[in-house]
Amino acid sequence: MTVVQRPQPGRTSRPGLPPRPAAAPRGRISTGAAGARRRKEALAAYAFIAPDLLGLLVFVVLPMVLALGVSLYEVDGFGGYTFVGLDNFRLLGSDDQFWQSVKVTATYTVAFVPLCFLAGLGLALLVRDHFPGVGAVRTALFAPHVISLIVVGVVWQFLLVDKQGAVPGLLRPLGGGDVSFLGDPELARWTLVGVSVWFLMGYQMLIFLGGLKDIPSEFTDAAMIDGAGSWQRFRHITWPLLKPTSFFVAVNSTIGAVTGLQAYDLVFALTKGGPAGRTTTVVYYIYQQAFTFNHYGYAAALTTAVVAFLVLATGLMFAATRGGRFHVD
Amino acid sequence: MAYDNQPGAISRRSMLRAGLLGATLLGSGVPLLSACGSGDQGSGDAKELVFWNFYGPNPDGNAQSKWFEDLAAKWNANNDVKIKLHYLPVSEYLGGTALQTAFSSGAGPDIFIISPGDFLRYYNGGVLTDLTPHLGAGAKDDFVDGVLDTRTVEGKVFGLPMEIEPLAMYYSTDAFEKAGLSEGDLPKTWDQLLDVGRKLTDDKRFGLLFETAPGYYQNFTWYPFMWQGGAAAVGPDGKSGFNSDAVHKALGLWGDAVKNGIAPKKTQGDGGGNAVANLASGFCAMQQTGIWSVSQLETDAKDFRYGVFPLPTPTGGTYTTDMGGWAFCANAKGGNPQAAAKFIAWALGSTDAEGVERMRQWNTVVKTNMPSRKSVKEAATKAGAFEKPALKTFMEQVVPGGRAEPRYTPEVYKAISDAIQATMLGGAVPATAAADAAGKIDAFLSGYKGAAIL
Repeated sequence: MTVVQRPQPGRTSRPGLPPRPAAAPRGRISTGAAGARRRKEALAAYAFIAPDLLGLLVFVVLPMVLALGVSLYEVDGFGGYTFVGLDNFRLLGSDDQFWQSVKVTATYTVAFVPLCFLAGLGLALLVRDHFPGVGAVRTALFAPHVISLIVVGVVWQFLLVDKQGAVPGLLRPLGGGDVSFLGDPELARWTLVGVSVWFLMGYQMLIFLGGLKDIPSEFTDAAMIDGAGSWQRFRHITWPLLKPTSFFVAVNSTIGAVTGLQAYDLVFALTKGGPAGRTTTVVYYIYQQAFTFNHYGYAAALTTAVVAFLVLATGLMFAATRGGRFHVD
Repeated sequence: MAYDNQPGAISRRSMLRAGLLGATLLGSGVPLLSACGSGDQGSGDAKELVFWNFYGPNPDGNAQSKWFEDLAAKWNANNDVKIKLHYLPVSEYLGGTALQTAFSSGAGPDIFIISPGDFLRYYNGGVLTDLTPHLGAGAKDDFVDGVLDTRTVEGKVFGLPMEIEPLAMYYSTDAFEKAGLSEGDLPKTWDQLLDVGRKLTDDKRFGLLFETAPGYYQNFTWYPFMWQGGAAAVGPDGKSGFNSDAVHKALGLWGDAVKNGIAPKKTQGDGGGNAVANLASGFCAMQQTGIWSVSQLETDAKDFRYGVFPLPTPTGGTYTTDMGGWAFCANAKGGNPQAAAKFIAWALGSTDAEGVERMRQWNTVVKTNMPSRKSVKEAATKAGAFEKPALKTFMEQVVPGGRAEPRYTPEVYKAISDAIQATMLGGAVPATAAADAAGKIDAFLSGYKGAAIL
């Protein structure tokens, strides 16, 4: 095959210097043209990701870096900054209430993530196939997610209010009329989990639905011809091929449980961290430190610690799954 | 196709390198941030002052909003420095982050309103202007005895109260009648309160209601029970008096009310300060709330039959109640602090006929309060403002013996709040919770250098 060698701007040999070896040819196109095309493609790629990257820089990276900087200061909330080095991080270790909020968040996460995962997956399997009105059912299941969490909190307060709420009313014949879903310290945290799952299961359902639609129907058709039952099809075809989606949902739910809107907005609307601190999540505690006590520096240190933990946890999850590349198996 | 290894393509390494460079540049900006935020004492001559409040101009255009708008219009008509009202919904002003965020970024409003519970945070932050030089002759003496104490530091007044909001017990007349009770059964002691509450409790209604959500408001409503036994969170010796028998009993009262099913573990609506959502709705038969609930019920539950009685006292205790109320303050780091202070002194402290009438309108026409000034109280009494049964009870039985809402720092407030929550809802033993709180308060007080905690 004859390869056309075109002059390369800027790459010609200078007088007195030995000639440069020609770049190894790639296919039918010269390396110069290929390089120009790759540069154009890179430019286009940068242009495509620029809006998202800009948003991430302004709303995620910038606050994270500034939080790290502020965490090294004592900030009084009225313009006074005193450099204290790592003192705020040292204080964190002996702050019982912070560790109590960590415990609340851990309990919440351990309950919320699997429940939301199972609810999302279950709903996705139920509405995967077409049946009359499936669009309306999917919309109805996703609908809670489009409502403001503050509104969600207010609505659930009405439903759960002691003695007079709809839920205690339903439970009265069963002897549960005096149950306080939001006032009982042990029950309140489970109520928070329940409302969070109700709010987010439609969103996770949508993600799973996308994953399920990506599985070629030939696989399940072949399995059916071979006599595989629905459980066998799920276990041996759907579940393995759904791993990347499951991984995304698990990571997304875990991060959401620790720092998501439900960890602050819902707590604020439903319980304000009570009763007796049982729903004071880490995020809500950080909010209190900043805006109730004006301990902005300490709040920034707590934020930095939580972000570091999440980065580490997510990194471990990525490492364990080789970056979510399940298809390499 | 993998682009990672091709020249000119976006590689993970190049992204990380760019990110690291950006992060370093951003991190180095923190000192700039501090420089931006540390404004000096304001000495500017701004011609427009922004006044943050949660009354007006309210989109609803209610009477309270109109009072604020008229106030600004009247001032603006006669002064070069203009007032611009900035309305925030009450939930955002009280429970949100807007005010604190504005101050922390060096952009706090020129004029704002705060409760005694927040006074020390702002005073110790150095953002309150001394209003004393702008108060006319006799203006200070016109304020009701004790009402300026929690807004005063070393004889200088840093906030002018617009109202006094005392706490009392409200009761549903229908609920009393249904339970076979009459006015003669209105409880005077804590034991009677629990006993009557028990009689009024049924499947769908609680006999008694205290605030359940943690926060400044819950503390505010609990303090009278602590004081009635002679205790205080911070004693005159500057040490915590919280681990005392009187505190144990006050914590125990609220805990017993909840434990015995007489009081709810969670209030309705936006909390224990809302009599329409709780008392008038039939959720409870007796509710501790403030004088503002008179206008709440007048507006939103006109046909509801109710009465008011003073907070019951413990055996051997002394009656008192907590008298809250909001105050105007001028930002010392604002655009024109002296003009802001002058406006406040004119708005709330003018002793001429126009000034008295303005405050009479606020306290007894567009809102139901006890006036914070003697002349206003006198004018309101002459105008028949306290002839309504509920307000008459407030005037004659509730206010005498009351004391101003304390100004505790956020750290003291939080220790007390934790103790209330732990005993009321968490099942903790009052003595244990009180000892824990007292330890935290003492630890804080040992390093405290701000204004006196009253």
